[in-house]
Amino acid sequence: MRLIYKLLTKIIDGYSLLRDRISPGWSSKNSSRLREWKLMAYAFSKSRIGVLGGLIVAVVIVIAIIGPAISWEPYWVYKSVTDPRLWLHPPCVPPSCSGAPLFGTDEWGRDIVAMSLYGFRISLVISLLVVLLGAPLGIFLGLLSGYRGGLVDEVIMRLTDIFIAFPGLILAIAFASVLPRRIRELLEAFPALRDFLSFLFGLRPQEYGQLAALISVWFAMVIVWWPGYARIVRGSVLSVKELPFIEAAKLIGISERKILIKHILPNVLSPVLVMMTFDLATATLFAAALSFLGLGPQEPVPELGFMISKAATYFPERSWHVVLYFGTLLLFIALGWNLLGDALRDILDPRTRRAIEFRGEGE
Amino acid sequence: MTYIIAYSIPGDPTRAWVGEKLLNPEALQRVREKYKFNAPWYEQFAFFVSQLLSGNLEDPIRNRNVFDEIFERFPITVELAIVGFTFLVAIGIPLGVLAAIKKDTAVDFFVRVFALVGSSLPAFVLYYYLILILFVYTSTTQLAGIPMPSASCRSAIASLPQTIPYIGNFLSAIGSVPMFGALMCGELEVVGETFRRLYLPGLALGLLNGGFIARIVRNSLLDALSSEYILYAKARGLSKLRVWGHAFKNALIPVVTVLGINFGGLLSGAVIAERVFNIPGMGRLMYEAITRANFPIIIASTFLFAIIYVTVNLVVDILYAVIDPRIRY
Repeated sequence: MRLIYKLLTKIIDGYSLLRDRISPGWSSKNSSRLREWKLMAYAFSKSRIGVLGGLIVAVVIVIAIIGPAISWEPYWVYKSVTDPRLWLHPPCVPPSCSGAPLFGTDEWGRDIVAMSLYGFRISLVISLLVVLLGAPLGIFLGLLSGYRGGLVDEVIMRLTDIFIAFPGLILAIAFASVLPRRIRELLEAFPALRDFLSFLFGLRPQEYGQLAALISVWFAMVIVWWPGYARIVRGSVLSVKELPFIEAAKLIGISERKILIKHILPNVLSPVLVMMTFDLATATLFAAALSFLGLGPQEPVPELGFMISKAATYFPERSWHVVLYFGTLLLFIALGWNLLGDALRDILDPRTRRAIEFRGEGE
Repeated sequence: MTYIIAYSIPGDPTRAWVGEKLLNPEALQRVREKYKFNAPWYEQFAFFVSQLLSGNLEDPIRNRNVFDEIFERFPITVELAIVGFTFLVAIGIPLGVLAAIKKDTAVDFFVRVFALVGSSLPAFVLYYYLILILFVYTSTTQLAGIPMPSASCRSAIASLPQTIPYIGNFLSAIGSVPMFGALMCGELEVVGETFRRLYLPGLALGLLNGGFIARIVRNSLLDALSSEYILYAKARGLSKLRVWGHAFKNALIPVVTVLGINFGGLLSGAVIAERVFNIPGMGRLMYEAITRANFPIIIASTFLFAIIYVTVNLVVDILYAVIDPRIRY
């Protein structure tokens, strides 16, 4: 716990040094902010749930980054074609294995642990992309609708109502089944984009058909994702914009854009940050659910949800180990983000943060 | 909006409906005429809406009225939703109350972790876990199939609109849900069978959201307990049970909201649960319709979802007023 606190303070110090290098005097001007950040780091290191979540997330991120590079089995080699013994080989204890991997194989005879290394990358990238695109879109529309009010507000809010009333999964299914063809054409037109995206997902460029499916899942999820953010942000903007300091800013003639970005946005950001952390968990599961239903990438891409859906055909006699393994991985990833989010909610709320600090000092 | 989605599906849907291989130009033309696919989009839109409201919309793949098809599937979804909801309430509320009583103890921590795990576990994985535990190893449950009341009972319910004026229609609609139909005929063993068959998906649905409900019950109960009227109630020397009763009633408002949203969600079909357990409900219907570009079904189901959403919100609002007499509209 102490170690994590020290590490975080080091990072904050390093950041302030960097800012000082760019614009001298930054750290003395923002000393109160830096102190607050350090308090947050202290509160974080005191919360067991948060540290556990943070560790899980760190492990997931590291595996996702290096996974495809260190995987000892390429996903495009169908081993069971040449060696039928490997078809859905159950897990085994080393002496009796005779060449089969420890955790068993899938229906192509591939080691499921090696496959999950690719799966981690795909899951993490897609959930990050969804949240990083969906949240700003929602924040922007929420800011606009909360600040402007009137007709703009009415239009945006009715739009979010429509999206929220409709079951999200079904909406995403609709979009994910519509989009791949168009995206495929786009990828064919721009080989550079294709190569970059396949690198991002850890796939081979020649599988751009699967890439198109992944990207359409991503877009479909973004479309379903933004309304939640728009609602939350609008709610907070409505309360913040009546506060005296906004009125003061208006009186001294600061432009509307600057008020929105510099004065309102930072004040509504902390609930959004918490929501984003939780949503990374939801997005991971949501993407897995979509590919479980058959809307994501197809063979041979080892996407976590897709692997489960394939194994489900032979469930439970031959493939219980595949379902169990990939299911637990999904649980692990999502649990990490959720634990982190739960801790962040306490830390970013000034009232509960003070309580944590107070308890810490008493010890 | 549904129309925009449906419209942007590439390809010629009429071809898919008539069948690629037996493509008969005349049949293709006839289907196009029927659904006005040659007309501009606003005319098509007007056509679909008017057909929908007059209840004449036809499913092009099975050549049946869409509402017949939906009302065949919807009762099954309602049944699943009721079983799931029962588990949700049975798991969520007692756990929440327990966590509030034993605040900051191991029980409270357990509920917190339970809620987190519940929201971290993908639905389909939990279903397979439960199948593995309950079906394969302990075989305490049966899979597949929605038990129906007897044939005489079903025909009696179907003829209700003729025998009883006015409310007959309403009664027969309720009776079309197999569980309620059996109940109305007094066939209790069918009701029992329903629970036996659906308890696995129901339990799964309950476990997934139960922790979340428990957290909300706990937080709102703690809020209510720290308010002044509770202090007053304690000062008056009421028994502990009475004090808790007061708090519980006031803590119900946020709980009812969340439960309402959950029930609405269950009613619009649990796509994944229906797929894993092979239940022919709304989720399956919708999924098939989308993958086959079956516009009429998509549009009619969306219409139904919108009605459900509005109705659930209305019921929740009415419940507010029942729980808390201070709320008046």
